[in-house]
Amino acid sequence: MTPKNIMEYSYYPGCSLHASAGEYDLSTRELFKTLGIGLTEIPDWFCCGATPAHNVDELLSLSLCAKNLELADSVEGDVAVACAACFSRLKTTQHTLKENETKRKQVEKAIDAPVKLDSKVKHLLEILAKDLGLERLAAAVNKPLSGLKVACYYGCLLTRPTDVPNLDCTEAPTIMEHVIEAVGAETVAWTHRLECCGANFTLSRPGVVIQLTNAILESAKAAGADCIMVGCPLCHGNLDIRQKEIEGVYNTNYNLPVFYLTQLVGLSVGLGSDKLGLDAMIVNPTPLLKEKGLL
Amino acid sequence: MSRIGVFICHCGENISRTVDVERVALEVGKMPGVAFSTDYKYMCSDPGQNLLKKAIQEQKLTHVVVAACSPRMHEKTFRKAVEAAGLNPYLCEMANIREHCSWVHENKEEATAKAIEIVGMMVERVKKNRSLPAITVPVTKRALIIGGGIAGIQAALDIADCGHEVILVEREPSIGGHMAQLSETFPTLDCSQCIMTPKMVDVANHPKIKLYTHSEIELVEGYIGNFQVTIKKKARSVDEDKCTGCGVCMTKCPQKKIPNKFDQNIGMRTAIYVPFPQAVPNTPVIDRENCTMFKTGKCGVCQKVCGPGAVDFEQQDQLIVEAVGAIVVATGFDLYTINEKPKGSAIKGYGEFGHGKIPDVIDGMTFERLASASGPTGGKILRPSDGKEPKQIVFIQCIGSRAREKGISYCSKVCCMYTAKHTMLYHHKVHDGQAYVFFMDARTPGKSYDEFWRRSIEEEEAVYIRGMVSRLYQKGDKIVVMGSDIAVGVQVEIEADMVVLATAVMPQKGADTLAQKLGISYDKYHFYSEAHAKLRPVECATAGIYLAGACQGPKDIPETVSQASAAAAKVMTLFSKDQLEREPIVARVREAGCVGCFACKKVCAYGAVEEKEIRDRQGNLIKVVAYVNPGVCGGCGTCQATCPSKSVELDGYTDEQIVAMIEAL
Repeated sequence: MTPKNIMEYSYYPGCSLHASAGEYDLSTRELFKTLGIGLTEIPDWFCCGATPAHNVDELLSLSLCAKNLELADSVEGDVAVACAACFSRLKTTQHTLKENETKRKQVEKAIDAPVKLDSKVKHLLEILAKDLGLERLAAAVNKPLSGLKVACYYGCLLTRPTDVPNLDCTEAPTIMEHVIEAVGAETVAWTHRLECCGANFTLSRPGVVIQLTNAILESAKAAGADCIMVGCPLCHGNLDIRQKEIEGVYNTNYNLPVFYLTQLVGLSVGLGSDKLGLDAMIVNPTPLLKEKGLL
Repeated sequence: MSRIGVFICHCGENISRTVDVERVALEVGKMPGVAFSTDYKYMCSDPGQNLLKKAIQEQKLTHVVVAACSPRMHEKTFRKAVEAAGLNPYLCEMANIREHCSWVHENKEEATAKAIEIVGMMVERVKKNRSLPAITVPVTKRALIIGGGIAGIQAALDIADCGHEVILVEREPSIGGHMAQLSETFPTLDCSQCIMTPKMVDVANHPKIKLYTHSEIELVEGYIGNFQVTIKKKARSVDEDKCTGCGVCMTKCPQKKIPNKFDQNIGMRTAIYVPFPQAVPNTPVIDRENCTMFKTGKCGVCQKVCGPGAVDFEQQDQLIVEAVGAIVVATGFDLYTINEKPKGSAIKGYGEFGHGKIPDVIDGMTFERLASASGPTGGKILRPSDGKEPKQIVFIQCIGSRAREKGISYCSKVCCMYTAKHTMLYHHKVHDGQAYVFFMDARTPGKSYDEFWRRSIEEEEAVYIRGMVSRLYQKGDKIVVMGSDIAVGVQVEIEADMVVLATAVMPQKGADTLAQKLGISYDKYHFYSEAHAKLRPVECATAGIYLAGACQGPKDIPETVSQASAAAAKVMTLFSKDQLEREPIVARVREAGCVGCFACKKVCAYGAVEEKEIRDRQGNLIKVVAYVNPGVCGGCGTCQATCPSKSVELDGYTDEQIVAMIEAL
């Protein structure tokens, strides 16, 4: 019999984790299983609307998130979110509808149900750092990431919008650093941890994205990082998939593996490459991890 | 039998637009006791007041009701007019048919009916008003000034020059405040020290000014004309009477590496120190937290070298009580420490500018100390990190100010001008350097101000970029400034050697605590509130307390000095009489009914209720009752509402009057 989980969450993976970020989903499930945290996927969840919806139709965007929150309520536990964009949208929806009664009534009419304004929406980082706690997290480590220098990359949405209560200070957050230091890694102080990577302009304006993402990679490399850690599938896409192309454009060589936070934390609790989806990474992390004695 | 006159005001169209004033006059005229009623376009104007005075005399009126605006607006005006016509002013009441009626209703029929009822209530109330003699209280003709910056100094000198005694209390070891820290001042570029230090000396030498530095206000009791203030004089560890100010102690002190707050912590000082060489008084103070003698009990070098034997390690804090008649609050401002996020505050801080982390990102006051001839670099503009001269310097305005989403919505008022001044000082000292300024707007209202700002661009070659900065970060020994130029619509990146932030002007830390001691009000930012934004800008709502300078809101030097002199004038007006007249609307205790429970004493916000012994002719104590000191009573009526035996009543608001008003409905 498996021991009872210490905590239970209602899991909202978001579209990316069922598509391009499959390794984020896999490593999240495996890591949480190891830590004794239950994740129950929300039945029938659907897209949060991400960036496109709220740019086109605010009511649609709010209703999509409100409906997802309603569905999430059918599962025990706070809502666990992996993707930074889903996290930001769900939190923003709750905030907006709390502040604006007219919009709330419109949305309630659209989804034909009351909005779950007070259900707790948490990013994985928050669950690890606060709910589980850094001490318990550190206690679960059996392969400390000693000697690995990690550049923690927040991107835009983990701590924004500013007026929405989110997981950390908008302009000087530290939660990622705390989590990864708890499992033995070193962090580097670098300048571009909060700069935008260009996000979904990667399809429509790749030139812009290449320029912005290059600045991020350049800054991480200059700070002496071995790798970058992210909590957002879109950031991951730009930093990882486009890295080779950027190296070509700028005639340079970064060779910085880009990990999801669950992959790095997963390594520290002894999960193997197959359970973390490391083979899905474009910039091959194997040489680095071997060099550090982590594989 | 009362002969009441009712005067209904149109207030231009403010009232007559929604209230049929003529009909009100007609209906009110029929009420019992009303002998006369009329309406007029502007009752508060000269012809309006004359109409009222004439009617009182011709109609032999005994009471007056003016139906117009709020009594907060014009009660005094009309009571004065009534008094001039020979009636006791407290036989006049106002019926508020503007704020309470015409402004808040649309339907003329209903509003008119309501106006008639409001006036009817006041008619019933005024019938039971009695003539009240004015209360007089003696005035102690000494003033207390809190804060020894330019505001406090100016107010102190003005009052003292008029012949009144002044107690000036300053928290720091020297007077001078922020103005003493500045290098040059806009818009004339005259040296701040040159215009400030003579005034400081005047204060020290003035026979009428008693100076307490290194001291704080502990407790304030009393009321206008009669305050008792307890001042905590913190131990200086140096006897002010013996010390000659020779400075040997400071040259010999082995602790030499303590950041000097006066130099914005970029310069160093010793443990026994004066904040700056021109300090007043020129008496050193021992910083007990950093003094080896106080930390370990071993050292005492300063005591050994002091010729007059002034160093006294045993000195204790002293509590001194001073009686004063008026108080001027001039506690000034502080700059927003943007890397701090005060707990429980709406202020959000600015992590993105690296202030406090990148050594060459400094605030405006630090730049003043770098540019000042008496500063830690002797007036050379040098970077705090490596002492190199910055060749590219970026100034960023509106840091904190005018950023609602970050917690502060007001404009700090002085930054546009001092940044323009900074670009000039920089250009004068670093000839091959380039200054850039990021700004939202340039706000330069003031005499010769816009000309000064234009000069920084046209003659002193500062490049102004309209737009804000999103982030600063260190790259090698440069600071990358990422901003936008909204005039051109492009993103801008400048690699600067030094960045100066025009951080918001905020009230002094602890401004709220002092306000609570004084019983004055403050706004959400803790700036002190004036009694009226336009017409009583230097007085607090609390009688006898006045405001000067930036403790009320961001201000530049000319404005601060003007307000300080205005506050001084107000104090001198108060001191021009030996007795002070007070509103006689105070509570009175019916001693026969009072059982001495003192519930009133517990609820009185003014501390006006005292215990009074009632004795018979043989001197035997019969009972102890409450007594309301009319000099202190604020007339709020809380005691009346609280008294279980209904033995205390507020004149003009007795239970009988309130019931009569209700019955008139």
